[in-house]
Amino acid sequence: MKTASPTNGRAADESPRAPLLRVRGLSKAYREGDTERTIFEDLGLSVAEGAFAVLMGRSGAGKSTLLNLISGIDRPDAGTVAVGGTELTALSEKERTQFRRRHIGFVFQAFNLIPTLTALENVLLPLELSGGAGEREEKRARRLLGEVGLEDRAESFPDRLSGGEQQRVATARALAHRPRLVLADEPTGNLDYETGEQVLGVLTALARESETTLLVATHDRSALPHADRVLDLEGGRLSEREGVGKQENGRAGKRAKKAET
Amino acid sequence: MPSRLLWKSSRRYLTRHPWLMGLSVLGVALGVAVVVGIDLANTSADRAFQLSAQRLTGKATHQVVGAGEGLPASAYRRLRTEAGYRASAPVVAEYVQVLGAGRPFQLLGVDPFAEGPFRPYVGGGGAGDSAGVDLGAFMGGEHTALLAAPTARAMGEAPGDTLTVTVDGAPRTLRVAGLIEPRDERARRATRNLLVTDISTAQEVLGMGGPQGGQLTRIDLILPDGEQEEKRAKQRLQQALPPGAQVRRSDARTETVEQMTRAFSLNLSALSLLALVVGLFLIYNTMTFSVVQRRPLLGRLRALGVTRREVFTLVLGEAVLVGAVGTACGLALGMGLAQGLVRLVTRAINDLYFVVNVQEVAVSPWVLAKGAALGMGATLAAAFPPAREAARAKVSVVLQRSRAESAAQKWVPRLAWAGGGVAVLAGALLLAPSQSIWVGYAALFCALLAAALLAPALVVAIARALRPVMEKLFGVLGKMAARGLRQSLSRTGVAIAALMVAVAATVGVGVMTKSFRQTVESWLQYSLQSDVYVQPPSLVFRRSTATLAPGTADTLAGVKGVAGAHTVRRVEVASSAGPTQLVAIAPGPETRDTYRLKSGNAGAVWPRFRGGKKVVIVSEPYSYRTGVGVGDTLRLQTDRGRAGFHVGAVFFDYASDRGVVTMSRATYDRFYDDRRTSGVALHAVEGLSADSLAKRVRTAAPPGQKLVVQSSRGLREASLKIFDRTFAITNVLRLLAVVVAFIGVLSALMALQLERRRELAVMRAGGMTPGQVGGYVTLQTGLMGLTAGLLALPLGMALAYVLIFVINKRSFGWTLQLEASPGILLQAVFLALVAALLAGAYPAWKMARENPAEAMREG
Repeated sequence: MKTASPTNGRAADESPRAPLLRVRGLSKAYREGDTERTIFEDLGLSVAEGAFAVLMGRSGAGKSTLLNLISGIDRPDAGTVAVGGTELTALSEKERTQFRRRHIGFVFQAFNLIPTLTALENVLLPLELSGGAGEREEKRARRLLGEVGLEDRAESFPDRLSGGEQQRVATARALAHRPRLVLADEPTGNLDYETGEQVLGVLTALARESETTLLVATHDRSALPHADRVLDLEGGRLSEREGVGKQENGRAGKRAKKAET
Repeated sequence: MPSRLLWKSSRRYLTRHPWLMGLSVLGVALGVAVVVGIDLANTSADRAFQLSAQRLTGKATHQVVGAGEGLPASAYRRLRTEAGYRASAPVVAEYVQVLGAGRPFQLLGVDPFAEGPFRPYVGGGGAGDSAGVDLGAFMGGEHTALLAAPTARAMGEAPGDTLTVTVDGAPRTLRVAGLIEPRDERARRATRNLLVTDISTAQEVLGMGGPQGGQLTRIDLILPDGEQEEKRAKQRLQQALPPGAQVRRSDARTETVEQMTRAFSLNLSALSLLALVVGLFLIYNTMTFSVVQRRPLLGRLRALGVTRREVFTLVLGEAVLVGAVGTACGLALGMGLAQGLVRLVTRAINDLYFVVNVQEVAVSPWVLAKGAALGMGATLAAAFPPAREAARAKVSVVLQRSRAESAAQKWVPRLAWAGGGVAVLAGALLLAPSQSIWVGYAALFCALLAAALLAPALVVAIARALRPVMEKLFGVLGKMAARGLRQSLSRTGVAIAALMVAVAATVGVGVMTKSFRQTVESWLQYSLQSDVYVQPPSLVFRRSTATLAPGTADTLAGVKGVAGAHTVRRVEVASSAGPTQLVAIAPGPETRDTYRLKSGNAGAVWPRFRGGKKVVIVSEPYSYRTGVGVGDTLRLQTDRGRAGFHVGAVFFDYASDRGVVTMSRATYDRFYDDRRTSGVALHAVEGLSADSLAKRVRTAAPPGQKLVVQSSRGLREASLKIFDRTFAITNVLRLLAVVVAFIGVLSALMALQLERRRELAVMRAGGMTPGQVGGYVTLQTGLMGLTAGLLALPLGMALAYVLIFVINKRSFGWTLQLEASPGILLQAVFLALVAALLAGAYPAWKMARENPAEAMREG
């Protein structure tokens, strides 16, 4: 096992290519009454473009916090987060939000679909927020719903869908606006094993197809066979498991070469 | 701008919670309706008064008026012959009651030959206006009058028919000589309640006839344009006028009369705003609820990249929709409400100030625009904090409901501090050296706001204190109910604050009314010391300047059983302090006891007063309004010219908010040529009851003279009846505020029900019976009502204090004694409790019937 933290800000990535996600010296603590609870300190991480990384850790280890910091939803106490060369920590709240709406997709444990929008409208929403609201966008949303096997449920509201169906809609929504990075926070946490497997399969398949970087926080081991890299977050330290996962160099390396030519 | 889908999502949220939006819309609608209703009623009364003033004034720019009630007709002749001023017209005008019409008419006596340039509808130069008028018959006939054709048709009268009018209780007949056919709507309204006669008929009907042409009410003038020309003309006219007569602008009297009701209208408007303030809480409650309930949803949107501004715009957009629908409904409702309110306002004005005949509600676009702006403004103001909260919430924590409540709890001390600050501001406003009623009301509204801000902290404290009691009384359910109050503070706090404000307003206004009534009652007790009071019937209860027929006072003084009689004369005169109601009394030995002096030395002033010296005493409102006090010299316009009178004392008086100046009859007779009397007070001989004497007086009244004869008890009762009638409108406003608050509590409880579906479903699944769920909700509702009621008591008393000692003082100048009976206070707590329990009945029923499985799935 290779330890990724403490690294004094050095990333846990040994890849020679420029990573899509680069986290350096990240620290976060929360106040609980008079005491301060440190979630992590001086954390470093980088993930190459198109890679699928799994972030493992127990409940309360700080996985969700890390995803929130990476997406710009929350701000770190120290350190930097850069996605595709844009340093999010240097942006204002509004700029971070606008960056998020264009470049980041989210899949939550609790599905978090908008209950007042239909399945199709939920998938359309990120497209519309990114500035598109035409026929082409609707076609794409329908196609994505088809790809997750829910073409016939396009007009259904979330409360009429099963948990697995809701998460598949959420997956389609996360990828609809062609984000560069998709963050999934326990996407199978509310699902049974079989449904979780299906959702994970759809998510990885769609992400690989569109060459989107995928970072999944989970404690579900069934995610491991799909992943290029597996990272463990424990006691505020990030470490990489060796020999588990496919290693991103295989797939992403090919794409990097393709890009060079 | 938020995207199309975001608006769609928002719209669906609103339509999925129809009761939430419905109650909000109703809250805005009721608030706007009350404000618009009162405003329309006030403006309709104003408009009606202006119309009647215009129809009397016509195109006159100035008028000549006498020092007292009239002007000798010889003044008019001198004006035309000596000063050679042709653009002048004599006028005799007074309100009379027309038998069968059920409303007062203005009797206008004019000289048709002089009228041309002034009131075209009367004839002369006004060709086309008067149809079917036989001018010869009108001029030469005995007791003939002109009537507007639509009015005549409505009354079933035609030319040649006879009308009976009563003046100061005496019946007179007039023959309809012709009809005035108004050319347009304006003329139709102007002539609706008008009876036109020639000068001599009017004088005869009104008892203003006499040697040398009798008396005129005034002479209308059209003075040339331009400051210099006007000044020269005035000087020329003044030389031809008798001493005491004055030339003044025609609109001067209209302004004076309008000033009379200004404070009255303003107080009504301010009270009507109360309903809107309570409505504001309701909107705030709804919008806060909609934000809190959608926190997770808003969090998801923010995570997906929706900016803070878009979230803010979205929430505010919903408020705009609620506000627009509510305001539109409120405007329509307000117009309907005005129909009822205008009657109450008109009756109060007629009781207190002057005759005004409001036939219809004048829907002014300005009033509607003001109501719309208030409705929308209040909605947006109330929605602003929740919208801001929604936009500023941290996305990483927004997904958790408990965090929302802990954030609300965190705000409690801050709100309490802010409340303390606003309370200090209210105090500073009260202490500010100002006479402004607006400043008084600003302080009052600050006090309400301060209490509302302090409410959450007090709710927490009360809930904590009541928890052990509730547990002891109702077991675990009681404990849960008390704890729930604190845990859902963001909703319960606002609902309690809304109910508290409404109930406090009830307490405040109730205590004020009660104190006022007690003060008036005790004043009537000591001021009505004679046994029987006689006066002619009057159209204005409190400002009767009607006169008794000559000789009536002497006749009544001679009735068997009368031990003593004192006359009263009331007139309007001009003074250095503005138009003044002058009361001349013939003081008896007990008169001194009927006046309680606020300042001045009774021992020094009464001998000089009785002795006919140049001494007057002034009432408290007069002194407050004009700044005239003991030791000052008040200059009054008299028939001997301007004369200075020493102000000997200021006395408590609650008969008129305009105030009066009182002088002895002997002094009055020295300075005024008027020998008429407005009323007589009679003392019964020992052993004869007041009621028996009243009976004798009624039978002794001269034929043709209708008299209002009242024993002191009867007069006291009549006065209090008028008092209660005047406050009827205040009670309506109080009730409306409570209705709005009731809707607020209902809305808050419905919100809680929606929010607690899952929690209660879990309890149901765990074995709680539907009855227990219903009981739990009812307990909590009762607790909310009780808390609101308890908090309303100190606030209500504070409001009563401000209303009595600041607002009332600044509006009317009266000193009132604060009287808070335990009954009113108990009623308030009871009202809050009942309102809350009633509002909670449906949510309790609904929660008890909820299907736990469904609730857990959707919750």
